[in-house]
Amino acid sequence: MHMADALVTPAVAGTMYVCSAAAAAYSIRKVRLDTDTRKVPVMGIMGAFVFAAQMINFTIPGTGSSGHLCGGMLLSALLGPCAGFLTMIGVLLIQCLLFADGGLLALGCNVWNMAFYGCFIGTLLIWKPIMKNGMTRAKIILASILGCVLTLQLGAFSVTLETMASGITELPFAAFAATMQPIHLAIGFVEGLITAAVLVFVHEARPELLYGASGEEQKKNRLSFRKTLALLAAAAALTGGCLSLAASSLPDGLEWSIERITGSPELESAGGIYQTAGSIQEFTSLLPDYAFKGSDSALGTAFSGIAGCLIVVAVCVGACCLFKFFRKKRSA
Amino acid sequence: MSHIHIDVEGVSFAYEKEREILTDISFHAAETDSIGLIGANGVGKSTLLKLLVGLNLGFSGSIRVMDIPVEKRTLSQIRSRIGYVFQDSDSQLFMTTACEDIAFAPRNYGLPEEEVQKRVQQALSLTGIEHLRDKQIYKMSGGEKKLVSIATILSMTPDIILMDEPSIALDPRNRRNLIRILNSFGHLKIIASHDLDMILDTCARTILMSGGRIICDGNTEEILSDQKLLEENGLELPLCLQGRSAFRAAR
Amino acid sequence: MSKIGNAIHEIHYIDTLATRDQWVNSIHPLVKFVLTVGYIMTVVSFPKYDVPGLAGMIVYPLAVFLLSELSFWDSLKRLRLVLPLVCLVGILNPFFDRQAVTVAGIRMSAGVLSMLTLIMKGVFSVLASYLLIATTSVEKLCYAFRLLHIPRAMVTQFMLTYRYITVLLAEVNRITQAYALRAPDQKGIHFRVWGSLAGQLLLRSMDRAEDVYESMLLRGYRGDYGYMRERIAFRRQDAAYLAFWAGIFVLFRCFPVILLIGDLAGKIAA
Repeated sequence: MHMADALVTPAVAGTMYVCSAAAAAYSIRKVRLDTDTRKVPVMGIMGAFVFAAQMINFTIPGTGSSGHLCGGMLLSALLGPCAGFLTMIGVLLIQCLLFADGGLLALGCNVWNMAFYGCFIGTLLIWKPIMKNGMTRAKIILASILGCVLTLQLGAFSVTLETMASGITELPFAAFAATMQPIHLAIGFVEGLITAAVLVFVHEARPELLYGASGEEQKKNRLSFRKTLALLAAAAALTGGCLSLAASSLPDGLEWSIERITGSPELESAGGIYQTAGSIQEFTSLLPDYAFKGSDSALGTAFSGIAGCLIVVAVCVGACCLFKFFRKKRSA
Repeated sequence: MSHIHIDVEGVSFAYEKEREILTDISFHAAETDSIGLIGANGVGKSTLLKLLVGLNLGFSGSIRVMDIPVEKRTLSQIRSRIGYVFQDSDSQLFMTTACEDIAFAPRNYGLPEEEVQKRVQQALSLTGIEHLRDKQIYKMSGGEKKLVSIATILSMTPDIILMDEPSIALDPRNRRNLIRILNSFGHLKIIASHDLDMILDTCARTILMSGGRIICDGNTEEILSDQKLLEENGLELPLCLQGRSAFRAAR
Repeated sequence: MSKIGNAIHEIHYIDTLATRDQWVNSIHPLVKFVLTVGYIMTVVSFPKYDVPGLAGMIVYPLAVFLLSELSFWDSLKRLRLVLPLVCLVGILNPFFDRQAVTVAGIRMSAGVLSMLTLIMKGVFSVLASYLLIATTSVEKLCYAFRLLHIPRAMVTQFMLTYRYITVLLAEVNRITQAYALRAPDQKGIHFRVWGSLAGQLLLRSMDRAEDVYESMLLRGYRGDYGYMRERIAFRRQDAAYLAFWAGIFVLFRCFPVILLIGDLAGKIAA
């Protein structure tokens, strides 16, 4: 589920960063970390807990495979949606920096796909309404499974949308979605079961730890629920708008600008077939007197590409060696 | 009378109403006292220490540290004078390197950076761990972590030191080092421990607790050599007083 | 259960790398962070058929690898998560994008090119993040985050998560090892103990959080702790480093540098 940097374009990544940052800013205001100093260490250590607990392999009965814990849902059931969301950001950042699980640029997408849906949608639309009139074992199991399934479905759908909007795969949208959704239905169900098992245990051992267990909290959250819905709607509209903009009107910034410079993509060799070999030939058309242009221009491009690459690498290695040599000499 | 002292009068405490953990605790601790707090598992030693620094406030009775009553508004005043070493070093050391962790308290109390560095250096040399200055906490052994934990409170230059099971997880040499550090600290210290031999080496006075009450308060040598008293309260004679003969007789 | 052991080892290893005494390690953390994000943005912004343009972007990871004296082979294992994902998404491109293109006399579908750029983008971006974290310690990164005005509470929380990951991983390792010793021939945790095993760990973690909080309070924490008071100076060489690489990125992104150089070489050879 962690998206890699290669799967997004800067436009999509930037949009998702803005959305996630908005949710984070809202959360920080909401949890008032500056006055409630206790929350910071609790969040920090629960983040580490989720990270560690996700490493445990839980055997799925009847199959040979294993499942893992769903962090967002668990955290917000303990800390509330806002604190849970902020904690998940920390977890995702560490996963991306230390374990190359998800990318730095795709972090905004990952925070949205996993933390936002898991914490806000899962808690406010599923957990809270179900727990409205008191908490029971059955309700916890129901809420955990429903929450995990729904949030993973949303997350998987977002991954599909973001990848398609980035235009990096030729896979038709329907086919992509048709592979993503069912897989995550199964994963969501298993994650929901594991999360339910843990939450039921906490409910029996220390029920006061669970979010919304005391009546006083409930009252405070009714207000925030409406605000969050509004925020969600705004964010969704923004996301949708930006994504569709990125997907439709700007196929690719550079291709577009080259087309404008050269009038039209140069297509002299064999009619329409070469149309999408676009960029390479457009680049070659930029070169004023291209050496191998003519009968076999593609071979020329390949030659230039390989030769250029080798030269650049050699220059780079040489420059680095020289740089290090002179630094050593100076310090010696 | 000096200004460093603790007065505890008629203190009782319970987390849940039904089950009292501490019952009617009273004692006076003076500036030069070194007090060993002993008792079987779960008699309330740690709870008592936590009450002294105001980590639990819902007690009845009165606790006064240097004539300041322990209550919500006086906490920061009291805590700046007391160093508390936790049983689990990993809970105490939350920064990444020893030096950052030791500097945490002086920086929080707003000392200039120059003074902070001086304090760090002092604390490191007092505990004899200058070589650990920039080492990552998670790469340290249990013994190293304990010494760093002690350094983190020494950098506050506290008037009073409270320790919860300090010698746990220490090898003999580090334990000896700990005893040296404790004995070089001249002010009031209260040490809760099961390591009776260490208490014997570091504390002149001992408070024996059982079932949330103080059973006995007096000279360490007297209490720790009273086999009957100790065994009645779930303890044994310190190893150094047991002797081989007693060991053989028991076999 | 070696997975957890590996994770702990990896954290320790990266930390050792980041605290080495190398020139790249001494560059201002904010500069390295900004450059890394900038580099990844440049890389992923290349058009999907622009293989030669993208190939030129190798100069940055190559140079930093050489300057920092990091082992290239060590970094390859970090690709294990990204490569399968990228290949999975890219592998179908040759089948769906069937427009023909001739490269070096061989006719192939344009999808092959787009698959190639996708893989290169994946590899380059992972290498760049690795080079950031392997030359910059997490504390210094946090310092950079503070300079970027990320709220203090969030940075503190992030630091604490980082600090306690190894503690909790070690705990999970012990738990699962203890479990495995008494439950031979089981690959993972049986569903009957799902709740109690992870739940116990959760309760202990909550208690630990309480202890940490108390320990912070006892040492004067009032929610406004600014760590790393020793400021990291922004030196002239930091500015030069930033300007140099930013220039290179723009140059390689806006002009087909590789093709121009290759073309020139071809002309000279001819």
